Amino acid sequence: MELNDGNLQTLTEYLQKTLSPDPAVRRPAEKFLESVEGNQNYPILLLTLLEKSQDEVIRVCAAVTFKNYIKRNWRIVEDEPNKISDPDRTAIKANIVNLMLTSPEQIQKQLSDAISILGREDFPQKWPDLLTEMVNRFQSGDFHIINGVLRTAHSLFKRYRHEFKSNELWSEIKLVLDTFAQPLTELFKATIDLCQTHATDVNALKVLFSSLTLISKLFYSLNFQDLPEFFEDNMETWMTHFHNLLTLDNKLLQTEDEEEAGLLELLKSQICDNAALYAQKYDEEFQPYLPRFVTAIWNLLVTTGQEVKYDLLVSNAIQFLASVCERPHYKHLFEDQNVLTSICEKVIVPNMEFRSADEEAFEDNAEEYIIRDLEGSDIDTRRRAACDLVRGLCKFFEGPVTGIFSGYVSSMLTEYAKNPGVNWKHKDAAIYLVTSLASKAQTQKHGITQANELVNLCEFFVNHILVDLKSPSVNEFPVLKADAIKYVMTFRSQLPKEQLLEAVPLLVAHLQAESIVQHTYAAHALERLFTMRGANNATLITPAEMAPFTEQLLNNLFKALAIPGSSENEYMMKAIMRSFSLLQEAIVPYIPTLIGQLTHKLLLVSKNPSKPHFNHYLFESLCLSIRITCKANRDTVGSFEEALFPVFTEILQNDVQEFVPYVFQVMSLLLEIHTSSIPSSYMALFPHLLQPVLWERTGNIPPLVRLLQAYLEKGATTIASTAADKIPGLLGVFQKLIASKANDHQGFYLLNSIVEHMPPDSITQYRKQIFILLFQRLQSSKTTKFVKSFMVFINLYCVKYGAIALQEIFDDIQPKMFGMVVEKIIIPEVQKVSGQVEKKICAVGITKILTECPAMMDTEYTKLWTPLLQALIGLFELPEDDSIPDDEHFIDIEDTPGYQTAFSQLAFAGKKEHDPIGDAVNNPKILLAQSLHKLSTACPGRVPSMLSTSLPAEALQFLQGYLQAATVQLV
Amino acid sequence: MPTENLSDKRMSKFKNKGKEPTKMRDRRIAECVELRKAHKVEGIMKRRNISSVGDEEPLSPEYNTDNKQVFVISEAIQEIVANVNNECPEKQRQGCQAARKLLSRERNPPLKEIVEAGLLTRFVEFLGRNDDPTLQFEAAWSLTNVASGTSWHTQQVVEHGAVPAFIALLASPMLNISEQAVWALGNIAGDGPSYRDALIDCGVIPALLARLTPDAPVGYLRNLTWTLSNLCRNKNPFPRFSAVQQMLPSIIQLLHHSDKSILSDACWAISYLTDGPNERIDVVIKTGVLPRLVELLGFEELAVVTPALRSIGNIVSGSDLQTQAAIDAGVLSALPLLMRHPKSSVQKEAAWAVSNIAAGPCQQIQQLITCGLLAPLVDLLRNGDFKTQREAVWAVTNYTSGGTVDQVVHLVKCGALEAILNLLQAKDAKTVLVILDAINNIFLAAEKLGEVDKLCLLVEEVGGLDRIEFLQNHENNAVYRAAQALIEKYFSEDGDDQCLTTEATDSNFVFGASDVQKRFDF
Repeated sequence: MELNDGNLQTLTEYLQKTLSPDPAVRRPAEKFLESVEGNQNYPILLLTLLEKSQDEVIRVCAAVTFKNYIKRNWRIVEDEPNKISDPDRTAIKANIVNLMLTSPEQIQKQLSDAISILGREDFPQKWPDLLTEMVNRFQSGDFHIINGVLRTAHSLFKRYRHEFKSNELWSEIKLVLDTFAQPLTELFKATIDLCQTHATDVNALKVLFSSLTLISKLFYSLNFQDLPEFFEDNMETWMTHFHNLLTLDNKLLQTEDEEEAGLLELLKSQICDNAALYAQKYDEEFQPYLPRFVTAIWNLLVTTGQEVKYDLLVSNAIQFLASVCERPHYKHLFEDQNVLTSICEKVIVPNMEFRSADEEAFEDNAEEYIIRDLEGSDIDTRRRAACDLVRGLCKFFEGPVTGIFSGYVSSMLTEYAKNPGVNWKHKDAAIYLVTSLASKAQTQKHGITQANELVNLCEFFVNHILVDLKSPSVNEFPVLKADAIKYVMTFRSQLPKEQLLEAVPLLVAHLQAESIVQHTYAAHALERLFTMRGANNATLITPAEMAPFTEQLLNNLFKALAIPGSSENEYMMKAIMRSFSLLQEAIVPYIPTLIGQLTHKLLLVSKNPSKPHFNHYLFESLCLSIRITCKANRDTVGSFEEALFPVFTEILQNDVQEFVPYVFQVMSLLLEIHTSSIPSSYMALFPHLLQPVLWERTGNIPPLVRLLQAYLEKGATTIASTAADKIPGLLGVFQKLIASKANDHQGFYLLNSIVEHMPPDSITQYRKQIFILLFQRLQSSKTTKFVKSFMVFINLYCVKYGAIALQEIFDDIQPKMFGMVVEKIIIPEVQKVSGQVEKKICAVGITKILTECPAMMDTEYTKLWTPLLQALIGLFELPEDDSIPDDEHFIDIEDTPGYQTAFSQLAFAGKKEHDPIGDAVNNPKILLAQSLHKLSTACPGRVPSMLSTSLPAEALQFLQGYLQAATVQLV
Repeated sequence: MPTENLSDKRMSKFKNKGKEPTKMRDRRIAECVELRKAHKVEGIMKRRNISSVGDEEPLSPEYNTDNKQVFVISEAIQEIVANVNNECPEKQRQGCQAARKLLSRERNPPLKEIVEAGLLTRFVEFLGRNDDPTLQFEAAWSLTNVASGTSWHTQQVVEHGAVPAFIALLASPMLNISEQAVWALGNIAGDGPSYRDALIDCGVIPALLARLTPDAPVGYLRNLTWTLSNLCRNKNPFPRFSAVQQMLPSIIQLLHHSDKSILSDACWAISYLTDGPNERIDVVIKTGVLPRLVELLGFEELAVVTPALRSIGNIVSGSDLQTQAAIDAGVLSALPLLMRHPKSSVQKEAAWAVSNIAAGPCQQIQQLITCGLLAPLVDLLRNGDFKTQREAVWAVTNYTSGGTVDQVVHLVKCGALEAILNLLQAKDAKTVLVILDAINNIFLAAEKLGEVDKLCLLVEEVGGLDRIEFLQNHENNAVYRAAQALIEKYFSEDGDDQCLTTEATDSNFVFGASDVQKRFDF
């Protein structure tokens, strides 16, 4: 590609076409450009166009195309061809800085981006003169050019803020410092001088202040990794100027805009960051300067207004104070009562005030307000920063700070009392202040867990909170009402039970409030109160205590779901769930009405599921309704099926993916309640449950396995007689599941149910295949979790089909297989089996192998007999071996059976632990003793001799204990 | 300064690998790039003799005003050149003394100008003038001060053949001349490994040691100790073993002297000798010096404590056995005081030593507990300066990755978890990553105890969850991934890994083993 007018013309035409709104024109042009970009001179043509084209649009277009071209092609990837010719590379690097600096802003920005991409790859080794070239421009005196250089430098250096220390990185920084630090310092000084000279020229000031902000950002990057010698030597210069800039104000630079931060704010905010960096990392060197920064920043805070545009500055500034005040050797800066008072009065209190922006959110954007206020996504807010400062100050000055604030709180409350209608915000601030002062530790689950002992929370509750809760006009001062409700919720662990009980009916009333925030908070507070635990781990608030309010509570909760804006309110639905769970049988009379409402809601949300938490609690509530009602009367299960199946069918038919796992869980719950055989409505669905597409979604696996287990428990004979052709498909599911390290335990759940419930004849033909698959998996990937499940399964098989059957089927697959499994798997690994039931199954199974399997007595397997007995005694007596090989730490280990994809798991659909052996064996140790006794009488003398020759004394002692307990003796 | 204890290898175990059986103890990275000012606390590499001698005349006032200075100096040097090259001994002495005075000025001594005036040849020549001790002394002093400059200056002195002359002067019966020679040789040795080894090749060690006699005055011994320490100094390469073996007995002897400055330099010598591979450390330990070093940790003087602590820090960065030797010598009872030392540089070095002991086997970790080091460690995490906190964080991470479950629980009970969670706000990506590693270790311990939920609550309660969540926005990929992994694993209420294949149709999975296995063998 020659660098000539013809090519420039062609390129211009194609660039023009790439701007066309018509894809038929645009796409081919883009394709063409991509096809020629590998040619030498292509980038140079672009640079020529962006510099010289007469058409402004083409110039910008060429710049953007150039930047994208660089982004795609500049990096040289090992083993891949170099996509840009070396002469082009050299030419680009030689011209781009100059070009960038002399271009209009729109193009400059593109080229600056391109330079930082180039720089990331080539700087410093392959672009040694970049820095000097840039630094030379500082002399130009043209701040358009200087800001271009600074911006580019910023994009080159900002990675120093987050990269790890390495010799390579530090060598680069050193090189940058050597060439850049001194000129930057000179530029900084000169720029500040110019600000004085041009103090009345607003346009000049604007440019100069953007330079200063960029310079401050560069300072931050260059000082981030460690304190460079240069900056240590020049700290006086930098810090003096930074300090002056913090205290500087210029009317000309004040902006009208309330939202967007102006140049002054941006600069000061960056200086706060710089000071905070030095205070944190270079404390020793920065100590002489720190006090005056504290004063300046504090003054800054005192004089800065409430507008949103100052938020970043204020929150940065407060965070600076918060980090300094908790360091022991700066304690003295804050110690003085006047200083503390002034910080509290002029910094903390004003920033805790409820602003008009908050008020707007409270009214018009409740959801966001709640997320910020309740869930703590308030990291950059003023209120959060102010709270952090309170906490920081309390580290050393808890007493004085509490004292000062107490004074404030009472004066604000007095103000409020004078004229609540006008001064209600004072009370809001007072409550907020008390809350932030009292909270020392907090979790979502328990609220405040540690409180400031100097604040009397109960007294405040009685005197100031209860009034608002009791107010007969529920919709008056909604913010204060919400505050009061939140107070109860926050300090629930600190308030005595009587006060909580007093609050409950009041909270129930607030569920009816029009304000979304208010009724949401009421629901949330009730929900939290209902989860609190008292003595004996029972709920703190009992159903009996709730009896007088039950009807009102249920009514109001469901009515609130009809308020516009709360139709899918997750807090409300969660409160419904929690109420059901607390009230238990007390809800039974209301269920016939409520189930209709819940089903109706389900139908509505299944059209377009958008609130996962709401939906989850909705299903939980359904489960609770079923459980509680059917516990009282099993026969009602039919009426639930009648109500729910139409909706469920619709969900399954429309494949509403979010809901399918829930539906399976509710169906399992329903099916398990049935006592007689499986209803035909369920059988009709059975073949569909085996479809591979359902099993491809991980979230479906646990509930589907659970459902199939319920089918097997209730309908094994029906399946064997009417759906025998589905058995291979069922086993196919098992096969699919055990192939996966994450899901193999689910496969075993299914297999265990098959072995336990299916009539033996119906699966005879598949047994050998089942074991071969298990052995294949054991061979290819033997994980601890798999081995544990495998062990439980083979022992269950042994219990069900007998030890001889187990030994024969193993040895039939491969000679001596049985011995290998006993020796390599059972003996060394049985100690890892966890869970009561699982251990019992293994104990009974191993006992059978020891005492009911002739091959263990009379073949070469005999040598395994005593070790196996010893392993069994170990299972009884030794602590569980919970060690996990290093490489398995990150496979999800399920120690207890349960559902692993926790989110979709419904707590209230949970199934009871099932013991397939049940009462047949109460004490496996006694069973072992009795079985050994039986064996010894069958072949007298052999058992005692095997024991005395190779069983260790300790094990023998345990065994004798079992024999004594069973009152049997070995012969 | 202590290294970034971290080699990338160490971090490779992060997240996925569980625990690494062999712990890496940190090493100072050889020749690492520094951005900071050279350390003020380090032993001094070169020194100029600026002490005033009785006959000193006050410097003429013009010398102090910058404008006239250049002119005045060049004039003075011209005069010196004339005098030194004069045959008259009196003039030579005068010239030499004038040069010495110029070179001993407090500020801006004209080292370069003296060299460029070609005076060094004459000065070296004067060193051999046994007939004129005053001239010898003045020349030795001048050369000492030239050699105290940059490498280039030292090089000029060496290349003019001063080394053999100075070594010969060590034996001078005039104590002040011998002392000046010791001093000059110290400056040359301090320049770096190649001159150091050149001196050793010229037999400087026996010549120095010969002057180490009981009747030598303290001032002389101070210089001698300092020069010996410079002969132990620098790596790449280290001084050879035979040289070290020659010097060690005398250094140990000096380590029992009562003079603080001698003690300080002897300690620095030990710290240089232990700042290397384990074989180097072994040589020092075998001298039985450990109990004395531990004793010196208890001294008041910072100048002694700093190098003694550095030496101990180096030794515990060695093998488990070497660390154990330091523990047996009682280092753990000395460390708590140092961790509470008023100087933050001492706190930092002490924390570094603790971090290395914490990287040892769990028996050594147990000794940290028994000797009460956890409380001061947690204090440092809370209140130390940043560099100290960084070392203390390493201690926690090493401890939690090698400690038993009980030991980890104990550390958490001492408040370490809350303290490191607070430090997640540190403005240093590596420190943050190291903390996340420690948190992960603590969670692994909690998993073994079945107390993950309890730990989650604890982390949340002290504001740790907020901070970890916030780190998911960190610009550093490793940090954000580590934070994300913690959140996903422990804080979110919610993986395909097929080992075998299963065929499927639209309606069913196909049951049956795909092919007949060769032979099972577990």
